[in-house]
Amino acid sequence: MTSLAVRSIESGYGEVQILWGASVELGPGKLTTILGSNGAGKTTLLRTIVGLLPAWKGNVLLDDRDVTRLSPHEKAELGLVLVPEGRQLFSTLTVLENLEMGSTPKHARATMRATIDQVFGLFPRLAERQTQLAGTLSGGEQQMLAIARGLMSKPRILMFDEPSLGLSPLLTMNLFEIIRRLKRESLTMLLVEQNVQMALAVSDHAYVLERGRITIEGPAREVRGMEQVRKSYLGL
Amino acid sequence: MSLEALLPSAIDGLMLGFVYGLAALGLTLIFGVMKVINLSHGPIIALGMFAVFILFSGFGVNPYLGVLAAALVGLLLGVAIYFVAVDRVINATELTTLLATFSVNLMIIGVATVIFTTSPRSIDIDLGALRAGNVTILGTHGVAVAVAILVAAALYGFLFRTRPGKSIRAVANNRAAAELMGIDSRRMLALAFGIGTALAMTSGALLATLFSFTILSGGTYELKSFVIVVLGGLGNPTGALVGGLVIGLLEGVLTVFIPVAWVPVVEYVIFVAVLLLRPAGLLGARA
Repeated sequence: MTSLAVRSIESGYGEVQILWGASVELGPGKLTTILGSNGAGKTTLLRTIVGLLPAWKGNVLLDDRDVTRLSPHEKAELGLVLVPEGRQLFSTLTVLENLEMGSTPKHARATMRATIDQVFGLFPRLAERQTQLAGTLSGGEQQMLAIARGLMSKPRILMFDEPSLGLSPLLTMNLFEIIRRLKRESLTMLLVEQNVQMALAVSDHAYVLERGRITIEGPAREVRGMEQVRKSYLGL
Repeated sequence: MSLEALLPSAIDGLMLGFVYGLAALGLTLIFGVMKVINLSHGPIIALGMFAVFILFSGFGVNPYLGVLAAALVGLLLGVAIYFVAVDRVINATELTTLLATFSVNLMIIGVATVIFTTSPRSIDIDLGALRAGNVTILGTHGVAVAVAILVAAALYGFLFRTRPGKSIRAVANNRAAAELMGIDSRRMLALAFGIGTALAMTSGALLATLFSFTILSGGTYELKSFVIVVLGGLGNPTGALVGGLVIGLLEGVLTVFIPVAWVPVVEYVIFVAVLLLRPAGLLGARA
C-alpha cells in the first residue's frame, strides 16, 4: 500500500497564485476527500500533484520519495493516476483503445487482458460498447470509461476529480458503490467531489480547502459533524 | 493533343497521384498530431531524391533499396528535427512553429545547394513497360504505385494496430490525458514527426525513380502536398490519399487540354476555391 504526502504546495496559473501552501496526506489504503467551494483550488491541487501544473514551492512525496518535478507520465508509471475532471477521454479512439491506453505503465501491460475483463465486470456497458468511439458514448458511459481507463493503469494511488459531475442519481450511486469496492481492496484514493454528503460518508479522512489553504482536517466522521462544514458544504 | 491521349494520360496521372498522396500523408500526419505545418517538407522530399541518387550513382545501390534507406534516414532525421527545432516551440502559436520549420527548410536548402549544386540529376533505371492499346505503363511507375500503397497500408496498420500507433493517436486527440495515462507524449510527438518525415523522404525517393530533379524540386511537391492536404481536410490521412489521387488525375487529364505550365494555375484555383467553400476539405471534418 502506497502513501502520498503533499507538503506546503504553492501553485497557480501564470501570474495568478491559487494554492498558498496546502498540505495533504493520504494514508495507505485509505480514502481521503477534499472539500471546498468552487475556486478554492481543488482541481489546481490535483493538477499540481500529478504534474500537469508545476509546483512553485513545496513537495509531493510518493512513499517518501520526492516526485514533485516528475512529469505526469512518469508519475503514472509510478502508479500515481488522476481521473480528470470532464473525463478527458480519447474521443477519436474506441472504448477498447481507450482502455489499452490506460494500461500504458509497464506494470499494467502484462496483465492488460485480465484487467480489461475486470473493468468489464465492473462496467458491463463498456463491454457492449467496446468497438464504439469514445466520443459517441453517453455522458454516464463516458464517466464509466474515464474511471475504467484509470483502473487499467493498475494505480497505487487513484485520484478522482468530480467523478459524479453530470451523472444521474442512479449512476452516482453506482459510482460510489465502485469507490467502496476499490476501498475494500485497500486502494489509496483521493476524492474531490461536489456531492459532499456522499463523499464524506465513504471517506476515512477529510480536508477542507479554502482560498488555497487547508483550514480543516480530520477523520471524515468528525469533519461531517462540524458546525462550519454542515453549514457551508452540507447545507444543513 | 487529342482525346485519344486522354486515357493513357489519366492513368499516368492517377498513378503519380499515389506518390503525391504519400508526400501529403507525411504533411497531414504531422499537422494532425501536433498542429504544426511543416515548412521543411519540400527540402525533405528533395533529400529523399538525393538519398537514392547518391546511393545509386555513388555506390551502385539498387534504387529501391535506396528508397528503403531514404525512409530510415527520414525517420531519424525527422526525430532530430523535432528535438532541435520543433519541441522547444511546440506549445507556441502557429506562426512560431511555421518559422521554426521554415528555418529548417532554409538550412537544408542552403547546405544541400552547396554540396549538390542545383544542376539536374536523374536516375537511369528501366524496368520495361506494359502496353495495352495506346496505354503504356512504365515499370518504374508501377513499382512506385505498389510501394506507395504498401507504405500507406503499413502506416494505417501502425496507427490502428500497434501500441505506439494508438499512443500517437491518443496524444493527437488529448495530450494532457495521454500524459495522465503514462504516455510519454514528447516521445510520441517526436516519433510522429519522424514518421511524417520518413513519408516525405520515401515519396521523394520514389519520385527520383520517375523524373529528373534538382535540390530545389521539393518545393513543387511541397506546394502540391499543401493543395492535396487542404483538399482532403487538414490532418486527415485518408483525405490526403484521396486528395493525391484527385490531383494526380487532374494533372494527367489537364495536360491533354492545356499547356503544362497552366496546370498549377488550375490547381491553385481549386485550392483557393476549397478554402473558400469547404475549408474543412472535401471529405469534411477530420476523421
